[in-house]
Amino acid sequence: MDYILHLVVFVLLYGMVALSLNVASGFTQLISLAQAGFFGVGAYTTAILATRYGWPLLVNLPLGMAVAGLVALPVALVALRTVEDYFIICTMGMGVILFSVMNNWMELTRGPMGIPGIPAVMLFEHPVIAKWEWVLLVGALYAAVLWVARNIKRSALGRVLVAISEDEIFCQSLGKNVSLAKVQSFVLAAMLAAIPGALYAHYVTYIDPTSFTIHESIFILSIMIIGGMGNLWGSLVAAAFMILVPEALRFVGLPSGIAANVRQMLYGAALVLVIWLQHSKVRAANAAVRS
Amino acid sequence: MSFERSFRVVDKIGVTQVLINSLSGACLYLLIGVSFWLIYAPTKTFFVSHAAAITFGAYACYWFNQYFGLPLPTAVCLAAIAVALGFAAVENALFQSLRGDSKSWVGLVASIGLYVVLQNIISLGFGDDTLVLRQGTITVGQKIGHAYVTWVQTLMIIVGGVLFVSTIMLLSTTRLGRGIRGVASNPDLCVLLGLNVDRITLWSIGMGSALAAVAGILSALDSDMTPTMGFRLLLNGVIVMIIAGAGSIRGFAWAALLLSMAQHLAAYFLDAKWMDTVAFIILIGFLIWKPLGFAEQRLKKVEL
Repeated sequence: MDYILHLVVFVLLYGMVALSLNVASGFTQLISLAQAGFFGVGAYTTAILATRYGWPLLVNLPLGMAVAGLVALPVALVALRTVEDYFIICTMGMGVILFSVMNNWMELTRGPMGIPGIPAVMLFEHPVIAKWEWVLLVGALYAAVLWVARNIKRSALGRVLVAISEDEIFCQSLGKNVSLAKVQSFVLAAMLAAIPGALYAHYVTYIDPTSFTIHESIFILSIMIIGGMGNLWGSLVAAAFMILVPEALRFVGLPSGIAANVRQMLYGAALVLVIWLQHSKVRAANAAVRS
Repeated sequence: MSFERSFRVVDKIGVTQVLINSLSGACLYLLIGVSFWLIYAPTKTFFVSHAAAITFGAYACYWFNQYFGLPLPTAVCLAAIAVALGFAAVENALFQSLRGDSKSWVGLVASIGLYVVLQNIISLGFGDDTLVLRQGTITVGQKIGHAYVTWVQTLMIIVGGVLFVSTIMLLSTTRLGRGIRGVASNPDLCVLLGLNVDRITLWSIGMGSALAAVAGILSALDSDMTPTMGFRLLLNGVIVMIIAGAGSIRGFAWAALLLSMAQHLAAYFLDAKWMDTVAFIILIGFLIWKPLGFAEQRLKKVEL
């Protein structure tokens, strides 16, 4: 039972990161590969504050969000000057730089050694240790993030973001501040990604930079694309699919050495397949126009 | 006192050594940059799976060399041909099936998926441990002034330089090369003129993959190989292509030299671990202040 609840926590955590990526990329279709970096900033901020100063989650969480937002602001100002493929390459670069900092700034992050012994979350004098308590805590924050994302989607900002994905220049001609909207969504998304980051740090109690590599960003991106870009519930379904299917492989009797590779191949193949299927609609439309 | 004097000697060695390392690194980046351009130019897609071509080249060479006992030059040729055929087939199929989508990220993201699959095939086949392609013992290499140049570095400079120059020659003199440049600048016009655009694209991808395979082998000879080696090398190649601008020869040479020099200076003065960071800082700087690269020609819509 604990094992199943553990998987639920992970599905919720990764669903939350994919949801935050949806805020940055789902509406505008500007794909960001820096999200794992912001997820990591949230995790590291919490881990450092909790282990060195013993601060509680209720303080660390907003601080982690603030730090992630502060890091994301210059990134957004720089990266959002580019478009399309260049934006992806640019954010990929930001992801690599964030990872390098986590991996190499020994004094702050202890580098590849990671930060062990992150204390349990204390809520109202009560330590959150049992798995079902974690499900409730992460579930509550998931609901909060979902609520924020939904409101962004329905707000004026959200509509500008969707308009950007359709035709940026036309949107600009309507007098909308396109670049401001893009920066806002990017920074908001980074702040939202810090929430699962902080929870992740407390939940696994040990973090190291390998959890926040560019491959993790690709994993998060596949969750978002498989769930459907801009589709908020889709992220949760896709996260469940991407985490539970490889776990199921474990019961088939794959050795653990191979399981990690098979898991990655699965999500790589799923990414290609989903894009191909989505594209078949475009192909059909093109064929219809031609005939 | 003696410490200070020895420090000064070390410093003198350092400068020459940084220059030699930068030059051999630049030749490697040049090769990868051009190989990536050959794939990007006709497809207008950033094929991240090109990183797998680099890795597959090194591992195929290792396989031919170790399991079949073929001599290294034969193994290199076979690996390049095998990678060219395989990647031309796979990447062309992906490109053709995703063609005509208005969203440009589609091809890039699909190729990321393809890369993840291919990289894990290597991991499953050869394991994640570092493999050594180089035979015999490691030698310090030839002494030039105060610095040393290894035979792999010499090989990199020669092979990288020769392949780069011959690719440029091929692009400017042969029918196929002109075809590739034509498709790169305007595929629709090429169709009107009766060129077989699909076949030219296929050839271009094949050539790019073969060059990438050679680059992978050179890199593996120099610093051994892991299943993820291609990704870092590709990023450097992409950076070279972007800051070079639209396929100008001088642009490529300057870009590769600038990138390699900056990385090796960072490795020398700071630490080797900051090399990736420096590469991306250069890229980001270029995207902001000089989005058209050295060549000042528009590669594609870079910014609004």
